[in-house]
Formats: sequence, structure tokens, C-alpha cells
Amino acid sequence: MTPLLAFLEVGVSRAARTTMSSLPVVSTEPDTMLSLEVAPHQTVAVLGDETSGVDALGGLALGLERPLTGRVLTLGTEIATLERSGQLAFRRRVGYLPAGDGLMQNLTLRDNIRLPLRFGSDFRPREIEGRVDVIVAQLRLTRVADLRPAQANAEDRRRAALARALAFDPELVVLEEPFDGLTDRAAAELLEAARGGETAEGARRTVFLTGPDLPALLRPRVDRTVRMARGRVEEVR
Amino acid sequence: MTGFLAAIGRGTARWLGRVGLLARFAFEAFASIGTLPGAGRRVAARVLLNQLRFTALEAVGLIILLSGVLSYLTISSTIAQLDKVGASELIGKLMVVAIVRELGPLLTAIAVVGRSGTAITAELATNTVLGEVRALKGMGIDPYHYLVLPRIFGCVVSVITLMVLFDVIALLGGYLAAGLFAGMSGARYLGIVLANLTTQDVVLTVFKGLLFGAVIGVIPAYEGLAVRRGPTEIPQAVIRGTVHSLGMIFVLAAIIVGVLVR
Repeated sequence: MTPLLAFLEVGVSRAARTTMSSLPVVSTEPDTMLSLEVAPHQTVAVLGDETSGVDALGGLALGLERPLTGRVLTLGTEIATLERSGQLAFRRRVGYLPAGDGLMQNLTLRDNIRLPLRFGSDFRPREIEGRVDVIVAQLRLTRVADLRPAQANAEDRRRAALARALAFDPELVVLEEPFDGLTDRAAAELLEAARGGETAEGARRTVFLTGPDLPALLRPRVDRTVRMARGRVEEVR
Repeated sequence: MTGFLAAIGRGTARWLGRVGLLARFAFEAFASIGTLPGAGRRVAARVLLNQLRFTALEAVGLIILLSGVLSYLTISSTIAQLDKVGASELIGKLMVVAIVRELGPLLTAIAVVGRSGTAITAELATNTVLGEVRALKGMGIDPYHYLVLPRIFGCVVSVITLMVLFDVIALLGGYLAAGLFAGMSGARYLGIVLANLTTQDVVLTVFKGLLFGAVIGVIPAYEGLAVRRGPTEIPQAVIRGTVHSLGMIFVLAAIIVGVLVR
């Protein structure tokens, strides 16, 4: 089965991220070589501390950064090699929950969820509202949907960030440190929402997540766990 | 001596590097207009309207105050001197050349840099530090479309509008002050002003509004999005955005006088 996400001999280093106003950082040597395939319907976790380079994997999967060596194929395409507008259009096919939520602070949680749909789809306003209402209800955000991120608690912010990532109902979801600071129960609910229910082949959506660790309660729900440390990549199970 | 020259060379290279990055940023921002998706236009238009409210509408009071006080100071302090040499007719020329052509655009731009340029840098720097810019890119939304272009166009439209307002208020202030201090009739004052106001002055005002507005949109946005390390860098970015915008506006004003105004 063709993997939805593939890291092919990718050199990973803990390089500083570039900003829009600066030149790309030219990193020297990769710290770790990673080869990993994420098959459809699988939930795969790559774990490691901040020195392992694991926090770079989400950006590599979305083509936000280019790998030092090797290739990253997302839905069969090397996003980083597309031209700018092609990259942006392609990323709408992948759900992305960045580390630290990345919610727009000047918008309500509901407006944050609306934003990708209003900006990147041809849906009519009523269709967008209908879709947003469904996602808000699914992620149990109805009570807090009209709050701004600063007024909501960490759990609701994370739910809203995941709701935004799922707005286009993507086949593949990339989650960066999704469970940071959450209780095991909240983390389990979040993972289930990201997986989108069960099918005969496994989860409805393919989930690729990174972070320092995985709550014990979630380990049975993850198909593959890989740990990166001190330049080594080990399959945990 | 060699060390001194090397230091100058390093400083110049660093400065040229920054200018190059700023030019690339401005080019990419304007080039991104062509890739703005249809649905994105409606969202960007709403951000633009917000920017116009903050930059133009909420600055009206400040511009009226600045313009009124400037015209009062100019006329009250010069009319007596002009009267002594029998040249009170020159007040119209003075108002057009000093205020409409030069000080109006410059003071309007300074006011907008102080109010909105600083806010743009602080806001975009905060967006960057909180990971919002990265999240936008990850969702397939171009930060140029959502964050940068509405601010640039908002600043251009606002600066042109506020410059026109500044000039109108200044000329009206002159109308009142000429009557109060020089006993000049309103009709005579307006006649003198209109005789000195040329099409070139109007075109130059709009041209300066375009240029200064673009500077106030581009440089603070560039500095805000260049923040890399964290919240402590935000005040430095605001200072850089403000100083560089003001510097660029003064240099452009000087170039316009040197090249276009004869």
C-alpha cells in the first residue's frame, strides 16, 4: 500500500526555523538520518526530546522546511519542491496542528476554525457555517466557540486547533506536540477525534504525530512508535 | 587602517544585505497579488477594512489637531513679518509650498508611522512569536495574502486620505487665521491660495501618499515578520520598524524635492 507520508533517508537537524523576512538557515550536518513510512489508516508517533530534531518533522512533512538530505513525500508529492502557490494549495489537503496551537489571537475559536474554509475553499457561507457547526459540536467546543484563545483554557485551545486542522476533513493529519500539558483523558479524546473513527483497515484518517512522549493511555491506540535520540532512530514496538 | 576599512566594509555589506532582504520581501508581497485565491480576496478585504479603520478613521482627530495647530503657528508667526515688508500676499504661496507640498505629507506620514507602523510591527511580531504565521502557512494560507497585503494597501489608502484631510484642514485653518491676524478677507485668502495651488501639487501629494503609505506598510511588516528568537525581540523590532520607516520617508521626501520639484 502506498504510504501517505514517507521520509526517505531524511537528514534531520535541530535547525532554527526561517522567517518570512530572512534567508533560509543553512545548516551544516544532519544529526539524525530518518527513514519512515506512514501507511494509510495508521497512527504513527515519533518521539524525542528537543535536542533530537523531532520538532522539525512536522515542518518537513508540510514542506515548510526542506530536508538537509533525502526526500519527504506527502500524499506522494514532495511539497517543498512545488512553487509557492502550489505548496499552499497542496497543504490544504493535509491537516496540521502546530506546536503551541498557532491559533490567531485576534479571532474567536469559531473564526479560527472558519478561517481555512473561508480562505481556501469555494464553499458558500452557509455551507461553511454548517461545516463549522458540525466540527465545533464534534470537538465539544460549542460552549466556548465564541471566546478568543486567550480567554479559553489549554484544552479548549488544543481542541480548537485540531478542529481547524480537520476543517477540510483531510486524509492525513500532522500533529506537533498535540498532548503537551493535557490530561490523559483529554489527550485520548483529541487523538480519537484526529483519527476520525474506525474502518475495517484501521483509523479513518492517517495520523502522524510528534512530541517528547506519549501518555500511557494512548499507547494502545498508536500503531507505530519511533523514538529519536542522540542521532539514533529506534522502533519502540 | 585596514581594520577600519574592513569594519566599514562589513557594516556596508550588512546594510546592503538588509536592503536586499527588504526588497525581496516587498517584491514577494506585491507579486503575491497574482496568486490571491477568489475566496481569499473576501477575507483579505475584511482585514483591509479593519486596517483602514485603525489607520485612517481613528487617526482623523490627531490629523485635524496637527494640521490645525501647524497652520495656526505658520500664519500667526509669519503674517506680521510679511506685513512689515508689504508681502502679505505671499501667505498663500507659503501655505501651498510649506504645508500642502512639504510639511503636510511629511507630518501625516510621521503620525501614521507613530500610530499604525508601530502597531503593525508589534502585531506581526507577536503573530510570528506565537507560531501563528507558521500555522497559516501550514493551513495553506499565504501570510502575504492574509497579513501583509491588507496592511500595505490599508496604509497606502489611509496615508493618501489623511494627507488630503491634513491639507484641507490646514488651508481652512489658514482661512481663519488670515482673517484674525492679517484682517484679510476670506475671499482674498482663498483667491491667493488657489492661484498658487497647481495640478502638480495635487499630483505630488497623491504620489507621496502612495510612496509613504507603501513604506509604512512594507517596512514595519518586514521587521515584524523578521522576529526569530522570542517576545523580548518585539520591542527591538518595533524600534527598527519605526526608525527605518521614518528614515526612508525623509530620504524619499528629499529625493522628490530634488528630482521632481523645480
